[in-house]
Amino acid sequence: MILRTVNLSKRFGQRWAVTDLNLAVEPGQIFGFLGPNGAGKSTTIRMLLALIKPSRGSYEFFGQDAHRNSARVLRKIGALVEKPDFYLYLSAARNLQMLGELSGGVSRQRIAEVLEIVKLRDRIGDKVKNYSHGMRQRLGIAQAILNDPELIILDEPTTGLDPVGIKEIRELIVSLARDFGKTIFLSSHLLHEVEQTCTHMGIIDNGRLVVQGAVHDLLKATDFFVTEIILDDPERARAILTDETRIDKITLAENVLKVHAPDEARPEIIARLVQNGLKISAVIPRTSLEDYYLALVQHSDGQ
Amino acid sequence: MLLIIKATKLELIKIFSKWRTYIGFATVAVLIPLIMWLVRKYGFGLENQALRSLGDSFEFVGSLANGLLVSYYLMNVLWVHFPFFIVLVAGDVMASEGASGTYRLWLTRPIGRFQVITSKFLATFGYTLAIVLFMGLCSIGLGLLIVGGGDLFVFDKGILILSQGDALQRFLLAYLIAAWAQMAVAALAFMFSTWTNNSVGPIIGTYAVIVVSMILAVIKIPALEIIRPYLFVSYFDVFFMPFSDPIPWGEIGVSLLKLTVFILTFFGISAVSFLKKDICT
Repeated sequence: MILRTVNLSKRFGQRWAVTDLNLAVEPGQIFGFLGPNGAGKSTTIRMLLALIKPSRGSYEFFGQDAHRNSARVLRKIGALVEKPDFYLYLSAARNLQMLGELSGGVSRQRIAEVLEIVKLRDRIGDKVKNYSHGMRQRLGIAQAILNDPELIILDEPTTGLDPVGIKEIRELIVSLARDFGKTIFLSSHLLHEVEQTCTHMGIIDNGRLVVQGAVHDLLKATDFFVTEIILDDPERARAILTDETRIDKITLAENVLKVHAPDEARPEIIARLVQNGLKISAVIPRTSLEDYYLALVQHSDGQ
Repeated sequence: MLLIIKATKLELIKIFSKWRTYIGFATVAVLIPLIMWLVRKYGFGLENQALRSLGDSFEFVGSLANGLLVSYYLMNVLWVHFPFFIVLVAGDVMASEGASGTYRLWLTRPIGRFQVITSKFLATFGYTLAIVLFMGLCSIGLGLLIVGGGDLFVFDKGILILSQGDALQRFLLAYLIAAWAQMAVAALAFMFSTWTNNSVGPIIGTYAVIVVSMILAVIKIPALEIIRPYLFVSYFDVFFMPFSDPIPWGEIGVSLLKLTVFILTFFGISAVSFLKKDICT
């Protein structure tokens, strides 16, 4: 287990920002920590990184009590907490060199490597004050992976970025897990970010964990894989697909066929409809997580 | 311990990467040669004033105005003017990082808050020592080079004439002591710097404390005697003591000890404040 929290709670005055949080993150996961603004995501991350003390509960990294072994576990963690604030009057290389020193030292070659990964190699000597917001965010990720950590904690890493920057960061996150074997803990309030990027997720609302598990399993279990198909004869289409085992449910609404099936089954379903002579004018993958998320959060608020 | 040494080195890099750090060095580097050159060209007016009253009793041959005498007089700037350069940096060390939010990134690394503040304090001491010694080196070195060497003539309960070699040793001691006295100023500015995220406040605050303390220390009202021991500026003149004969080691030791108490108190308050400081907002 990479991370485990046990009844982790934080109170500010009379208000509980996080209550009895029990998270579990396994090696190799990209764990999306999802919740609306003010749900307690940043407070949780600040506790995990020892920036604030929990009011109650405990947490472990790599099977070790993080409170007692704070320095030891932090050596194996790279983190980006919200907006990365660097020393603007220093170069990117100097900033990374200083941060790396605190975690046991880092070579110039490694600094160049991580800047290559985040596509900032050609700006290595520039002062950070001359970097754009997106470049600073990428530099933030560079410092998080600098000391080759086992776990990377990213708190809202795409905040304030333009669409191109967001896409780059998301690709980078997936690449860190896929190509470098890192475990990622990604906090976000963006549903599609978690849906597109993460293998696992936990949803937090009002400081409480609503649900956690594999993104795929959660969606499958709760019937939220939906593809809307607009075509000329929905009734015939339904008949054609009745023997498709990967389809959980088919519903009809005017000329729209709603197919409840995993994403990976979608191409074959479409191909089968086309092969049977149906004329498809649109295929719309629904933001299924949004439905699921809203259902959970509304349920949580209702309670 | 190793981490504190590493972190102190990094803090020194940060301090010496800011242009404000060099204001003091640049001012010293420009002013002192200028003063020395003016003295060489136009003479040392104070010499005549000082010797006029002694002219009836003594006969002086040659000139007593040399680089060491000018350096000795220049040490007076350490009272009120020179602390500005200390405060300019020490008042910024903690506050600027609070303002820029860099603590958050720094503290996600395996370093504790006490280690952070200790390293910053040690780095501030490093800067203070560097600029005071730079002032001493420039003053004495350029004094000897531009104005010339010779015996040092000082008034200390009478006339005291020190050979150049003896005077140089006493200057070294005086500047080391002065660095410690300036460290009390730095520690005060450092403490104020911990409380805020804007370095202007600590700079003005520290200067206000110095000026008010100086006023209280020099006003000759017996009632004020009670508070003088609690003013760190009361022990500021310790850096002139090495020019007495014999050197009052006991008095120097007591003054340095009292300054140390002030320094540690200011640091202690700073550390407690920083350990409780909200660095996340």
